[in-house]
Amino acid sequence: MILAANLLAPNLGLFVWMLVTFLLLMAVLKRFAWGPITEALDSREKNIQDSMDQARLALEEAKAIQADNTTARRESEASAQALLRAAREDAEKIRGAEVTKTREQIQSLQEQARQEIEREKVSALEALRHEVADLAIDAAEKILHENLDADKQRKIVHDFLGTLSQN
Amino acid sequence: MIFRRLQLLFVLMIAIAIVLPTSSAARSMQDHEAAQDAPVSDEREADEHVEEGDHEEEPAKFDAVHHNSDAYYLDFSPMPKLELPRIFVVRRADGEIGVDFFGSTHAAVEAGYVAEIEEGSHGGILDAHIVAGSGKILVDMSISKHLFFAWLSMLIVLGAYLPIAGRYKKGIGRDTAPKGRFHNLLESLVLFVRDDIVRPSIGPKADKYVPYLLTVFLFVVTCNLIGLFPFGATATANIMVTAVLAIMTFIYTMFAGTKDYWKHIFWPPGIPILVKPILIPVEILGLFTKPFALAIRLFANMTAGHLVILSLIGLIFSFADLFGPAVGFGVVPISVAFALFIFLLEILVAIIQAYVFTMLSALFIGMAAVEHEHHEDHGHDAEGSLATVEAGS
Repeated sequence: MILAANLLAPNLGLFVWMLVTFLLLMAVLKRFAWGPITEALDSREKNIQDSMDQARLALEEAKAIQADNTTARRESEASAQALLRAAREDAEKIRGAEVTKTREQIQSLQEQARQEIEREKVSALEALRHEVADLAIDAAEKILHENLDADKQRKIVHDFLGTLSQN
Repeated sequence: MIFRRLQLLFVLMIAIAIVLPTSSAARSMQDHEAAQDAPVSDEREADEHVEEGDHEEEPAKFDAVHHNSDAYYLDFSPMPKLELPRIFVVRRADGEIGVDFFGSTHAAVEAGYVAEIEEGSHGGILDAHIVAGSGKILVDMSISKHLFFAWLSMLIVLGAYLPIAGRYKKGIGRDTAPKGRFHNLLESLVLFVRDDIVRPSIGPKADKYVPYLLTVFLFVVTCNLIGLFPFGATATANIMVTAVLAIMTFIYTMFAGTKDYWKHIFWPPGIPILVKPILIPVEILGLFTKPFALAIRLFANMTAGHLVILSLIGLIFSFADLFGPAVGFGVVPISVAFALFIFLLEILVAIIQAYVFTMLSALFIGMAAVEHEHHEDHGHDAEGSLATVEAGS
């Protein structure tokens, strides 16, 4: 008796049973298990992949938006600065103009004042001249009236001048 | 929690697996001693006492091969054996073909079938070769031990995956993450086979073969592991079972074969014409050796581990027989330690061999299904291809 004869003995019945069993098992599993399971796994895989893709897209979008924002901010900053500068320049210009105008006004006022003074001076001199002439006439009148010596004349003039100075 | 319990179960299982054969062997040896006194009158009567193991003059040997080979009963020793139904397709004496169904081997024998007990064998009716009393058995379609455990494996695989498939249908695992350890475990097996075995081996057409290879992997791994349980038997330690699986792979390979594949077999390109007569037969032979090797590999691996464990346990009794009980007891720790080591190795091998079977099946199918797009680079016009490379660069 061969020791391992039992192990290697062909058995057609078992073979047929096994074939039937295995085919049955495979058919049932394929129909009711592997189909739904692999389909579900694929759909889950797709889901996850889609989610990741979407997340990546969203991230890219966000980055793009951020970049846009940054440039926009920079641009607005630049324009704001330009505006500020322009405003400052304008202000400077206006101020300069104002200053010149004021100066001119002052100058014209000064000029007017000077002319006024000049006019006043002229008229004052005129008046003085008239006064002095009158005084000289008055003094000459007195001298003529009182016939006096030199001392007296001098004294008279002196007195006269004294009264004058009192005025 | 569940893993802790599994761990406990595992340890228990190992312990029982070691103790049971030991105790049953010890029992049969005691029986043998008792049988020394019992007079054996005739062969027929002795057969009636098969279960008691006291029918023979030969000492009842602890037969590892017998334990591993197929049978028509479930061995729950030291509890009684459970006989399995016998189904015979027979050509009766009058030439008619019929099917006989019996609840057990004993029932068959009582109904007129004859148990041919080999001279010098220690088995009884249950281990005997059954022939028809009149007419001829055409096919023995009996439910054998290995078939029983193959069915059990089938039920386990179905019982595990059908509810899981239901969960996926309900959306758990599809729209949400898979819930629970069991679900995750089973899913990881599916993903392992699909993503790490089938897809890398077969390539773009892989998904067509996923159901078959998944079924093979899970069926084989369940069969392999079920044999490690007490009272269990390994269906894949039967050459008929592995042959069925290998033939399935063979058929799949045949149908997967592309024009290129067949051309490479029947008229290998790029080979000198004189070498072709040598190579073509080799290629044709290769078609059949691949599945043959698949069947033998799984069968041998599954058988070997069990044989080694039983032989190691048997050493105890051999030593006791040769040198007396004291030496037998002395050998116990060594035998048990070695048997434990082999048992743990068998757990590993059970899984590895399922992987190897699936992997190689996938590879064979992949080799057949591949579309060659480079007929030139077989050496005969290497210069030509070099020229194209240079031209291309």
